[in-house]
Amino acid sequence: MSHGSHSQESEQHLYEGDQSKLYSGVLAHHHDVNSSESKAQVAKIWKVTGILALITIVEVIGGLYLYQYVPKWVINGAFLILTLYKSYFIVKVFMHLGDEVKWFRFCVLIPLLLFIWFIIAFLYDGGAWLEFNQNNPARFDYHQTK
Amino acid sequence: MSHSTTATTPKAFGGGRSPFNVSYGKIMMWFFLLSDAFTFSAFLISYGTTRFFSAVWPDPNHVFHSFPFMGEANLPLMFVSLMTFILILSSVTMVLAVHSGHCNDKQGVIKWLLWTIIGGIAFLSCQAWEWTHLNHLGAWWGSFQDVSSPKELYEHFFKADALAAASPEQLSQSTNNFFNFFFTITGFHGAHVTSGVIFNIMILINTVNGTYEKRGQYEMIEKVGLYWHFVDLVWVFVFTCFYLL
Repeated sequence: MSHGSHSQESEQHLYEGDQSKLYSGVLAHHHDVNSSESKAQVAKIWKVTGILALITIVEVIGGLYLYQYVPKWVINGAFLILTLYKSYFIVKVFMHLGDEVKWFRFCVLIPLLLFIWFIIAFLYDGGAWLEFNQNNPARFDYHQTK
Repeated sequence: MSHSTTATTPKAFGGGRSPFNVSYGKIMMWFFLLSDAFTFSAFLISYGTTRFFSAVWPDPNHVFHSFPFMGEANLPLMFVSLMTFILILSSVTMVLAVHSGHCNDKQGVIKWLLWTIIGGIAFLSCQAWEWTHLNHLGAWWGSFQDVSSPKELYEHFFKADALAAASPEQLSQSTNNFFNFFFTITGFHGAHVTSGVIFNIMILINTVNGTYEKRGQYEMIEKVGLYWHFVDLVWVFVFTCFYLL
């Protein structure tokens, strides 16, 4: 791949560099749409579609019926795990993050660790408010003051 | 810098190349999505906090039990499940458009982008119906603030026993909070879907005009695709937080 002396190309090179060298592993391999690699990838996409649909159906069944028989924390925990499982497939396969190089994956995923603190802090805050409201009836339960 | 064929496994931080092996535009799209993820999660986590400290809360199976053209039939979660499937399928057609782009298959890109746009518009139409329906029940930003309202006003949103046990103040406060968050979060998400549809239409026009064919690659489909998948990803979380938990 040689740089031509074409003025437009060199101008683009000046501003953007040779982007063709920076394509991820996915775009680096152009193959025929009817090749076996291409068909294998399409088959994988449909397989993931099936998994996502199946998880959604399980979630809806859980939300409709199971919540009456299963303890609340169990069903809610299952919902959260299934949601994270779905997002894992969307990010890895649909967004092709699984095909990127290791350092780029880390760069995107490590900041997400902040969510751990984010969720703990805010649920703790919500819990503190709940306790405060319950121990201070005058604050929210206006029945007491009427 | 020679064009050596050993460039397949160079040292990541050896210099002379991007350690990420990704173009600038795609890196920036990822970082934008990362920041957008924190915006959405700020909404969802504050929703969770509010719900956590509320003594009562509307029951999703009661709030979302209607279906277009089904009258008063009690079909909890069915409509939102349909919306979820529409969005997941539009995400699938988008990834197939990206795949066609990898193969430089122009007709494939056009076909799958069209399906993605149709899916996006179908989802937005569903959301418009749901908003209108809830609005007819009196729900909007800042609604249900009147503490002296009769309890019948809330019967669409609560289980019968929870409704009987709750005080008017609790009903007013929690329903008001619930719908403020509901319209803000689904509205913010709907705005993302709308701009996603517009981006999709723009890259469809470019594809039809042969812009990417001349460029020799369809990376723009991949970048807009990332945005579209993110919108689907957010909906997965909205679905769990609002309709399931």
